[in-house]
Amino acid sequence: MNGAPGAVHVEIRRITQRFRSGRGADLLALDRVDLQARRGEFVSIVGPSGCGKSTLLYIVAGLLRASDGQVLVDGKPIDGPDPDRGLVLQNSSIFPWRTVEENVAFGPQMSGVPQTERRSRVAHYLDMVGLTKFAGFYPRELSGGMKQRIAIAQMLACGPSVFLMDEPFGALDSLSREVLQDQLLHLWERDRKTVLFVTHSIDEAVLLSDRIVVMSPLPGRVKEVVEVDLPRPRQETRALPQFGQLRNHIWSAIRKETMEAIG
Amino acid sequence: MTIVTASDQAPPKEANGQGSAHSPAHAPKPSGQKFWNRLSAVARYYPVFLIFLVWEILSRLDVLDPMFMPPLEDVARTFYQQVFVTHELLGHIGVSFMRAGAGLGLAAIVGIAAGILMGRVRAIESFLDPLISALFPTPKLALFPLMMIFLGIGDASKIALIFLGCFFPIVINTYTGVKNVDKFFVWNALTKGASQRQLIWHVIIPASLPFVFAGLRVATSTAFLLIVASELIAANDGLGYLIMFAERSFDPALMWCGILVIAGMGFTVDRLLLALGARLFVWQDK
Repeated sequence: MNGAPGAVHVEIRRITQRFRSGRGADLLALDRVDLQARRGEFVSIVGPSGCGKSTLLYIVAGLLRASDGQVLVDGKPIDGPDPDRGLVLQNSSIFPWRTVEENVAFGPQMSGVPQTERRSRVAHYLDMVGLTKFAGFYPRELSGGMKQRIAIAQMLACGPSVFLMDEPFGALDSLSREVLQDQLLHLWERDRKTVLFVTHSIDEAVLLSDRIVVMSPLPGRVKEVVEVDLPRPRQETRALPQFGQLRNHIWSAIRKETMEAIG
Repeated sequence: MTIVTASDQAPPKEANGQGSAHSPAHAPKPSGQKFWNRLSAVARYYPVFLIFLVWEILSRLDVLDPMFMPPLEDVARTFYQQVFVTHELLGHIGVSFMRAGAGLGLAAIVGIAAGILMGRVRAIESFLDPLISALFPTPKLALFPLMMIFLGIGDASKIALIFLGCFFPIVINTYTGVKNVDKFFVWNALTKGASQRQLIWHVIIPASLPFVFAGLRVATSTAFLLIVASELIAANDGLGYLIMFAERSFDPALMWCGILVIAGMGFTVDRLLLALGARLFVWQDK
């Protein structure tokens, strides 16, 4: 958890990923991807489907082993998943057989945090995402936006220093999506954790990030890295003219590939 | 292989509480409504009572041959005698239940463990899968004579037969359930610091439990089938023996007594399993 803000926190070094496809031919999903995130930096990864952005995130999470290359956190190569690198997935990966509070308690329970401390931690994070009233509910009784808030609270309860988020708001309606974006911004501006945020929404990336990594598909490569120099806090940023300019710039960078990907 | 999920038989009380996103899962219901729900749950079985009534009427009208179908009243009287006077029936029920329970219990322990291992360990999967596929379609009753040679005509051969019959539906369902666990649940658990053991206990087992349960239900009916069959073939006690004994001693009332008791037992156990399932799986999306 130590290290000065601004120092390199997560370093992705020449990550290559090949998948064996049906006829034995290799599919190159990621081709020598380099990426660095400084401590406390919000980095988004955008690109059309098939550019390997989610695969890259799963490799950083330690869930997939890269064919080649390395991921370093605080200068040390990673070895499998670790609660220090928290993950939030698109579709509710929270456990339907656990109530809201049992879901949030999952990480602390796994690491053997005593019951009383676990309870206070759960209460704290439930309050943070505004779901205290729903502590005893099962996920099936909640909306998609609420489920994603539980997923976020579940990750926060593990106290990670890196947030890995794979299109966390991708399945939500646009209203819930904006609310959750604002809540995430608020949370991040307070704690300044390092975030790798995968999305296919350029608007979302511009709104949230310090830096945007634009990827192109087949093979997945880093096409461009865009610095977002919009002032923070960003809640009112959507109306600024620079917002539209950045958005158009990124869109033109991946337009051709996206058109091809859609066919 | 049919997979009966526990959710398709939800009791009527669950149906009302649905879609109410703002009341907790176990919201208390007014007791009056509970009573009516109970009553309607019983009333649902009116066709069974109707058949009993028709049976009684037809035998009173001498339409039915009393050597095959004695009046239901005679069956009831025999039942009373057997339960409250001689207590003989209770002994037979106990023996059959013990054998079925022992076979089913062993099958559950071994079947669930084997199913989980098959679903998680590639080497075990590739070893057991062909064996199970090859043996599953074999009628286990065909092996009963062989088992009697090895284990005698007492409890052991019957428990072994029931174990074998129940093992397959349990192991196959468990294996299917484990294989169907969403990859993202596993990933989520791993990034929250779960060890492999915790992953099995806190994710794989709860996530596949509805499948395991469906397997247990199928196995339970198999256990009842096999206990009666094996006791009909060779036994000195148990409900199957009682039915056979009554038939040979021209006592149709006693025979029907045995038949109805075994049917009632099967029904009761199945309902208990369903009720347990509805309680265990309140979290499931219907």
